[in-house]
Amino acid sequence: MNPASLPKSPPPEPKDVHVLPGPTDGSAFTGAAMGQGNITEIHDTNPLDVTLPYHMQPRVEKATHDAQLQQFVNSATLSKDRARKRICLEAFGDNYNRMRELGGRIKQHTLDHLDYYLEQFVTNAAAAGAKVHFAETTDEANGICLDIARKCGAKLCVKSKSMVTEEMHLLPKLESIGVETVETDLGEFILQLDKDAPSHIVQPMIHKDRAATARAFTRELHVEYTEDPGKLCQIARNLLRNKYRQADMGICGGNFLIADTGTVVICTNEGNGRLCTSAPRVLVAFVGIEKLVPSLEHLGVLLKLLARSATGQPLTVYNHFMTGPRRPDEHDGPEEMHIILVDNGRVKTLKEETREMLRCIRCGACLNTCPVYRKIGGHAYGSVYSGPIGAILTPMLKGLGNYPDLPHASSLCGACYEACPVKINIPKFLIQLRRDQIKQKITRWPDRLIYRVWAATLRNSLTYRLGGWMQKWMFRLQARGNGSLGRAGSDPYASRGWLSDAPGPVKSWTRERDMPTPPARSFRQWWDEHEKDKKSKEA
Amino acid sequence: MKGHLGADPAEFIARVRAALGRSRTEPAPPPPAVDETIARLARPSDDLVALFEKRATLVGMKVRRIKSADLTREVLAVLESVSARRVVVGVGSLPQALGLKESIRRKGIEVVDWQAAPGLDTQYDTDAGITDVHAALAETGTMICNSDAGHSRGLSLIPPVHIPLVRASDILPDMLDYWARIKGKRGRELPSSMAFITGPSKTADIEGVLITGVHGPGAVHVMLVEDA
Repeated sequence: MNPASLPKSPPPEPKDVHVLPGPTDGSAFTGAAMGQGNITEIHDTNPLDVTLPYHMQPRVEKATHDAQLQQFVNSATLSKDRARKRICLEAFGDNYNRMRELGGRIKQHTLDHLDYYLEQFVTNAAAAGAKVHFAETTDEANGICLDIARKCGAKLCVKSKSMVTEEMHLLPKLESIGVETVETDLGEFILQLDKDAPSHIVQPMIHKDRAATARAFTRELHVEYTEDPGKLCQIARNLLRNKYRQADMGICGGNFLIADTGTVVICTNEGNGRLCTSAPRVLVAFVGIEKLVPSLEHLGVLLKLLARSATGQPLTVYNHFMTGPRRPDEHDGPEEMHIILVDNGRVKTLKEETREMLRCIRCGACLNTCPVYRKIGGHAYGSVYSGPIGAILTPMLKGLGNYPDLPHASSLCGACYEACPVKINIPKFLIQLRRDQIKQKITRWPDRLIYRVWAATLRNSLTYRLGGWMQKWMFRLQARGNGSLGRAGSDPYASRGWLSDAPGPVKSWTRERDMPTPPARSFRQWWDEHEKDKKSKEA
Repeated sequence: MKGHLGADPAEFIARVRAALGRSRTEPAPPPPAVDETIARLARPSDDLVALFEKRATLVGMKVRRIKSADLTREVLAVLESVSARRVVVGVGSLPQALGLKESIRRKGIEVVDWQAAPGLDTQYDTDAGITDVHAALAETGTMICNSDAGHSRGLSLIPPVHIPLVRASDILPDMLDYWARIKGKRGRELPSSMAFITGPSKTADIEGVLITGVHGPGAVHVMLVEDA
């Protein structure tokens, strides 16, 4: 495809309503009505504040029995996944894979030479007038922020969405020294009202509906009950405008850091990020050290991939490039700019075996395409980063022993690898982490024994065949015992029976779904017959 | 580095270096080249005005293709359609826009002097912001608005309606062309704020329903001046 050619169809813009600011009218709203929701109410504690080691089973079971949660998550992720594929093919055509490869190589190169690029960034950001601080732990990062807040006498802080600050529970700390802090991303604002936590990297309140939002607004903001998304937005807009106006401190994250200019880049659709970083007198940007790229030119490649992969937009509405505080001739912008570069487990992840994981640009494409995420939602992962990338990143950042289930929360289907704009081989890392668990004896001994027996069985043709034969007949007998054999119809699986209550180690598998019994003839049997047939024909 | 809080920068970077398996920092080899045959999505040979119009429209902006002689009339028409009473204007030295402020005033619409007071405070109660752009990208229908003495960060962000004036000569084919234009500039030579704007302010946080104008402008009326 000629890269310059126009797309044949318009980029995928969800068919929804544009509500202009000003008093909104309920009649203008035509979105799908599913406001009968009752899934989430105010939380006592942050859902991501989990006891370690974290075992995901209870939350997974709860999620798989929550039809409404599944409907929300499933429909939202499916539509974003389709939008991603459509717009990436329109824009890049046959070059889509090469573009992902280029994005991956740029991030990998920067990580391979992160010491060099960090030094370069610090020099250039300082030359532009920013103050750069380093934090090894979340406590250290919070401490720096509190020091800045105290020094500037902050009373009110407006904050835009930042995953790295979600890692460190910053807000209660700021509140504890008397700094009122308001989340301004609409989704995060609603979650803050409910003391809830994000369950998706890009769409934080994917697990909540308009009714839950309406209840939160009525309860916390004392406004008249309305489920109209346009009116709810209007209420939030009016309230938050006053906050921007009065705030003396703004906090943001950073999607990218540019080494050769010392620039922090944030990508937001709502505009709250620009307001938080432009209106208050003091700006604090929290950024993970893995966000560096060498130059603006390299950033461009990643910007072209980011929004297309995340939401199916050609670019995020606002890409805001911040280089130092306001210049002497400028009339607005922050007088002080602080950048806090955060480690929190990243430095140890930089070792060669796991470095590739840090390429992640937080687009959420792997979540949207993952059959497991769609079923269990983000909170089941028990950490800020959910979905496939969370399943590998969380154990690395917070300890494999603390999150023993996550490397197993995947079917290893590989859809995440296909979707990743920087080509992180997530399935490979999932397997590597499972292997590490065995090596480090994090896995319990009965499980390790099963793996050993399994491995021995698979190594030898005779035991492999014997195992397959035994499994087939045990499952078929068990299925017959369930009375489910031949459960009707032309479906080949149904006619050969389903196993709905398997014995032993397979029990937990069949608790949530049925398993088709193995067919009467195995692949090996088929192959032997096929080869025999071929030979007899040739003869 | 003086004045830092938290961990010592030299020690921090030394830990990074150790994790990378190096004992001292060496200059990085050249980063991967940005291959234009892969990354370029619009070319100088494209009809840039038409492409910009198409892409800007697709992301939800309203584009009027006009002649420079009609600029004042078209801007006043938009202001009238949104019943604007107070507007902010930041057009730098754009010759086409000279006289615009005077014409707006003559219509009885107040032009707020945002340069008189530091900060964004004077802009919250305005109805529209009129700006020129530093550049525009045909590839995605993007406008680049930079901050400087004549351009506030707020003009394209705070009023509910943004009216950018885009001259045909402002339009670059691809983002790659903008990087080429500012290549070699160090941080302190860049403005403190560069905003790439591609559409009106949007959110889909509530059940995926798309709402415009959640924090930034809900409507963007682009004046695409073809003969300038």
